[in-house]
Amino acid sequence: MYESVILRTVARVMMPLLLLLSVFMLLRGHNLPGGGFIGGLLASAAIIMQIIAFGPTFARKVIRVGYLNMAAFGVFFGALWGLPALFFNLPYMDAFWINDPIPGIGKIGTPVLFDVGVFLAVIGVTTRVALLLAEEPELFPMYVQAETEE
Amino acid sequence: MLLWIVLFALVTSPLGLLGRRTPRPLIGWGLAVLPLSLFVLLALQIPLIASGGRLDEAVPWVPAMGLELRFSLDGLGMLFALIITGIGTLIVGYAGAYMANDAGLGRFLVYMFLFMGAMLGVVLAGNILTMFVFWELTSITSYLLIGYKHDYPDARRGAQQSLLITGIGGLALLLGLLILAAAAQQVGVSVADSYRFDALIAAGEQIRQTALYAPAVALIFLGCFTKSAQFPFHFWLPGAMQAPTPASAFLHSATMVKAGIYLLARLSPGLGETLLWNGTLVAVGGFTFVFGSIVAFRQYDIKALLAYTTLSMLGGLVMMIGLGGKYGAEALVTGILAHALYKSSLFMVAGIIDHEAGTRDLNKLGALRRYMPITMVVTAIALLSQMGIPILMGFVSKEWMLKAALESSLPAPWPLVALVAIVIGAVGYIIAAWRLFRNAFLGEPSPTVQKHHLVDPKWSMLLSPAVPSALSLILPLGLLPAVSSLLSPAASAVYGAPFTFELYLYRGVNTALLISLGVIAVGALFATQQQRLAAQKIIASINGAVVFDKLIEGLLAFATGMTRMIQSGRLRTYLLYVVLVFMLFVGTPFVAYGLDDIRFVLDENLRFYEVVVTALIPIAVIATIAASSRLGAIIALGVAGAMVALIFVLFSAPDLALTQLLIEVLSTVFLLFVFSVLPSRFASLSPAWVRWRDAFIATVFGVMMAMLVLAASSNTDFPSLAPWFLANSLSEGKGANVVNVILVDFRGFDTLGEITVLFIAVLGIYGLLRFRRVKPDVRASGRDAQTIMPGEDTLLAGNGASAAGEHQVSAGVEPSAVRAKR
Repeated sequence: MYESVILRTVARVMMPLLLLLSVFMLLRGHNLPGGGFIGGLLASAAIIMQIIAFGPTFARKVIRVGYLNMAAFGVFFGALWGLPALFFNLPYMDAFWINDPIPGIGKIGTPVLFDVGVFLAVIGVTTRVALLLAEEPELFPMYVQAETEE
Repeated sequence: MLLWIVLFALVTSPLGLLGRRTPRPLIGWGLAVLPLSLFVLLALQIPLIASGGRLDEAVPWVPAMGLELRFSLDGLGMLFALIITGIGTLIVGYAGAYMANDAGLGRFLVYMFLFMGAMLGVVLAGNILTMFVFWELTSITSYLLIGYKHDYPDARRGAQQSLLITGIGGLALLLGLLILAAAAQQVGVSVADSYRFDALIAAGEQIRQTALYAPAVALIFLGCFTKSAQFPFHFWLPGAMQAPTPASAFLHSATMVKAGIYLLARLSPGLGETLLWNGTLVAVGGFTFVFGSIVAFRQYDIKALLAYTTLSMLGGLVMMIGLGGKYGAEALVTGILAHALYKSSLFMVAGIIDHEAGTRDLNKLGALRRYMPITMVVTAIALLSQMGIPILMGFVSKEWMLKAALESSLPAPWPLVALVAIVIGAVGYIIAAWRLFRNAFLGEPSPTVQKHHLVDPKWSMLLSPAVPSALSLILPLGLLPAVSSLLSPAASAVYGAPFTFELYLYRGVNTALLISLGVIAVGALFATQQQRLAAQKIIASINGAVVFDKLIEGLLAFATGMTRMIQSGRLRTYLLYVVLVFMLFVGTPFVAYGLDDIRFVLDENLRFYEVVVTALIPIAVIATIAASSRLGAIIALGVAGAMVALIFVLFSAPDLALTQLLIEVLSTVFLLFVFSVLPSRFASLSPAWVRWRDAFIATVFGVMMAMLVLAASSNTDFPSLAPWFLANSLSEGKGANVVNVILVDFRGFDTLGEITVLFIAVLGIYGLLRFRRVKPDVRASGRDAQTIMPGEDTLLAGNGASAAGEHQVSAGVEPSAVRAKR
């Protein structure tokens, strides 16, 4: 959006780091500050930085996902992990855990997977809104294009 | 077993789709086996019911709240269930022949089976909430059946009318039933029992003493009167005649419209014996009785004529419930049986005439006796029963109605009112019946009749009307003891105490018989004048449908006006309404009850930097308001947000601080996205008084929120949840980060709701930005200050709302939890 060499360089370097950090935040969330919501906001901040530095078209090319679909999948995925409890005649969303922690990830249970759903939903929603604004012809006539993403 | 009966009827409904194939008459009668099997199954229970027993089954759901699927079978339910399945069997077979050339039969039969299941649910339900669910289901299936020929505007109109009327009534009924249950709870019935019919009836005496009795009864009346087409809600029933004839015969004469009667009868032992109950029922029922029978004989369309006699008879039955006592109960159950038999037969005959001659217009028919002798005999028997001519079932029924009026224990005017209504109504029936018979079967063949090659239909079609018609004759002649043993338990359920009675045709001369004979004589006299009577303009002007249409129009105009006022398209107006409503509904009770909770205790360990950080927030807010440039305002707002985040850090709530910071950053980015289209001049465009008003409302709202938070945190009436979460987070939630465990485990369902809201918000933003109509003039002056940009408004609102939602969840628990950590 602003053709700034500094911004573009920083964005290029920071993007993978921020995305990694967001996943890290997501996974540590259960025991240390972090979690799906914070991780999701971080990830979308990283992507929004791309949008600002290189424009929405480039940002779309770098990360080829449909954000609306991603948001929908996040909600679905989150809701999905409430279901197993029903098979054991427990209330919806009762938690199940694998007893031994998996190296590098930590303990896995349905709440963590639910948090992944939250993570995806937040990324999808926030980034989609940013893209909508960035691609709004009245706001940024220079990015007008025939796009039908989702 | 009862549960399975209802389920079976509902689950097997898709089998109706077989009706798409040919030969349809054969498939129709094949499918009739389904209701027939239920009929047989129910009939096997007759000995049990006749000996005073009852069946009761319950599937509990939330027992503490009285929510359960409860079915019970007693005499009254048995009578109705037998009528539903018995007539249903005949109707399904008849429909196959009637609609032999209509591939839509499949769809039609599915609706019919669904309706049958729903109706069985209504009459077998032992819990008022169970009953209500099925009650509404009958309205919906009735709507589908009336609108079956959905390419005809009249059918759509009739369907919509009936759905709206019965739907409004259904809402009133639900409210009435809930009030009734509340009244029962007041007088000491346990919550779990307060939704059961038997418990409600048992507690009836005390319920009648409570203040809730009158509103409950009024609302229940509204529900029953709309369902059973009582004046002034009667007009949907003639409109419902747009349904195919088998549906009219089944729903709109024999079964669904009697659901209101059923419920009144069911509740009458508990709620009856007050002037409100009995007087209203006699007045409304009596008027409907007379009104329907007088309007009936003026009709030209056979089905319309039958529809009006039906609603008249429904009025008569309501009146019988109102008269009360043993005779009232006996007359009611006898009337239900007699009416179901002759009216279903007549409707099916109307369908046959329509099918064969291509018209139902009485002015275009005539001399059918020459072509359709068997049909004529069937019709004649049914009509004689309707007229109440001796030795037919209708006669017995009318005798008992007269007896109920003569023997009623109600205060002075009501028995007389009922008597007069019965006499006038019965005369009307005779005129109407004679008119139908004369114009259709006697006289010279009309040109329409001559054009068609008319013959009696095949037995696959004729059997269905013939059976109930024949029963109208056979039952009183040979089977009255058997009928009595079936009807006695039904009457007992209506009366409230077990008793038996014997129906009979003739037992000496008495008042009822004399009146009956007099009515027949007068009716015969008038009947010869039927053409002239039909031409009279007596009460043609009472047309509820017109009033109804006006009401609906008015409602739509009102809704449009409200929408215009509220949906202004300006974010500030929306915010204003939201804040005002919130202040009204939260602020009022808070000021009334919550102010005592506020205790402000200064923390002794308060640090200097904490004071500074906190003080910076109001300063930043004032700076935002006073800023002279937009960028300045955004930065000042950012300062306020950052200070809030800092407070979270100081009170060791890192999760909240992180979230707050990220939200601050993203909000600022979003604001900057739309920066370029905002007007370059940053000035207040509202007049001064609007600004002062907004400032005032904002201040009051802010103070109220602060007080609320203070009151919530200093309230000691409830134990804090925080210790529980701290203690159980690791053991139960397997996580050391309490905030996150609360978000994804303890209160995970809330979070699921929130991300769903987020997703809905993004869909809304998508729609607003991508699919909005671009107005040329707005585009041209796109940089103008007054331009409304729905996209931005909603974006900010949506974003703010989602952020606020997140804060609520965590902030509600967090501060105290964090305090405890320190």
